[in-house]
Amino acid sequence: MVSVAGGAVIWVALLGPVLALLFHLSGSAIASSLTAPGALQPLVTSLESGLVTLCVLFFLCTPLAWMLARGKLPFPRLWEAGVLCSLLLPPLVIGLLLVFMVGPYTPIGGILAHLHQSATNTFLALVIAEIYESAPYYVLGAQAAFAGVEPRLEQQAGLLGDRPRRVFRRVTLPLAAPGLAMSLSVAWARAMGAFGAVVIIAYHPYGIPMQIWTTLQETGLSTALPFALVLLVVALPLPLAAYIWSARAGRRRRG
Amino acid sequence: MLDADVEVDRREFTVRAALRVSPGERLALFGPSGAGKTTLLEAIAGLLQPRRGRIELGGRVLTSTVPPVRAVPPWQRRVGLLRQDPGLFPHLSVRDNLCYAPSASPRSGELAELASVLGIDGLLSAMPARLSGGQAHRVALGRLLLAHCDTLLLDEPYTSLDASLRRTLTDLVGNLVVQRSVPAVLVTHELTDAQAFADRLAVIDRGQFLQLGAPDEVVLRPASRRVAELVGYLGFVPSGDGVTGVHPERVIAGAFGDRGLVLTGTVTACRPAGAGWEADLRIGDAAITCRLPDKPPAAEARLAVTVLDPPRFGADGALV
Repeated sequence: MVSVAGGAVIWVALLGPVLALLFHLSGSAIASSLTAPGALQPLVTSLESGLVTLCVLFFLCTPLAWMLARGKLPFPRLWEAGVLCSLLLPPLVIGLLLVFMVGPYTPIGGILAHLHQSATNTFLALVIAEIYESAPYYVLGAQAAFAGVEPRLEQQAGLLGDRPRRVFRRVTLPLAAPGLAMSLSVAWARAMGAFGAVVIIAYHPYGIPMQIWTTLQETGLSTALPFALVLLVVALPLPLAAYIWSARAGRRRRG
Repeated sequence: MLDADVEVDRREFTVRAALRVSPGERLALFGPSGAGKTTLLEAIAGLLQPRRGRIELGGRVLTSTVPPVRAVPPWQRRVGLLRQDPGLFPHLSVRDNLCYAPSASPRSGELAELASVLGIDGLLSAMPARLSGGQAHRVALGRLLLAHCDTLLLDEPYTSLDASLRRTLTDLVGNLVVQRSVPAVLVTHELTDAQAFADRLAVIDRGQFLQLGAPDEVVLRPASRRVAELVGYLGFVPSGDGVTGVHPERVIAGAFGDRGLVLTGTVTACRPAGAGWEADLRIGDAAITCRLPDKPPAAEARLAVTVLDPPRFGADGALV
């Protein structure tokens, strides 16, 4: 009984900020904030950069996660440390260091300039910052999802006549899919809310977090709050959908 | 025809084996845990690369370490491997599991017919998580048969099941192997399972084939003292410059000189065993164990027993 009560207290406390948001929003405030000219442009920017980030994560980090899970890489601890590095560094520090890595006066910045691109205060910079803030969540989650697939099942599929690529498509991927979806949606939420690295390297173009920040600076809390709601509405459905879908996949497997 | 002659390195020893199994023939590899039985099956399945050797299956060379060197990958070998874990795909229904193999394009009726032979026809739309251990193994077997594998390798598949289910499934596999005329190899550390399944039985220990023969011959005429120990001989009584092996189930109470070796000893312990009794006897310096239908006399009593036609081993341990 005591443990249930304790759990409930923690649960309500964790949910508190969301409840506070809902209590302090009025319909008219939402309407006036969101109908201001250009108010929805940051939403579009956030969605676009988030989608690009997810694609990059899925296509580049999925193979890495699989190789980490299957021990296909030499010195696996070293690889994991690299992934953990960007998780453990404060986002603000990542932003600072990114300036020294891809800023205009660096070799990479030089190459980008050659291609008429820049990695500061551009859409590319926003995507880079979001990748750094979300990638470790995806890689570690996907690694756990792949590690949960019995290698014996893959072996059995091979013996039944499937080439490794087909085994991956027919056995590994479907079995890891719920875990992959969960970690991809966590990465999505991180990318949507990315702020620390973004504020340094990609102040422009505004995504929603930057818009919340500048609105807060310029006009105060009450006008910033509706954008917080927008951020939640955009960032949360994917994790929720992934959660429901993986729960259903689990139920289906249990018959 | 499955024809394998390989040497596979393991950490502690090298597994050396030469075996030929004809279509429809059932070979059992019997040996203690860690003898290298599974290693041999995995080499045939292409999961392990042998250091030296050649594996042929139905006229196709699967592995050859001498020119022309070959190492056919597992997915092109058409080798069916059944393990203790049935390995059903949890995200696919029983029907999809059965038809998983790319080579499984069941003729009309083949799936239904096989399902009814295996007793799983009511389960086709069930998910694997709902199956009992025995049902899951039936599905796993059906999946290999529908894949039309050229050989069946059974790696102690039914060890975790209870004895009667184990016997039922072993008989089922045995019959299907003969019916479909594929070579089959069963690996087990249970002698009775090996005998129930096999046409021929090989005893393997620390990577070496010690004896290959008929299932009864291996037990009644073990080629060496080590084989005798592995197949259940629990006592060795000195005779001449060697020893006589005593299998607990080859002993009857009473002295019958014309049926074997008569031994007289002192009962040191006696306990119920199955429907009869098991008694330990001390004979000089040696100790033997015997299974008797009647309760033996109390401890420290003298008892005469006859060991039926026992094998004798010379000083070098070989059968005399």
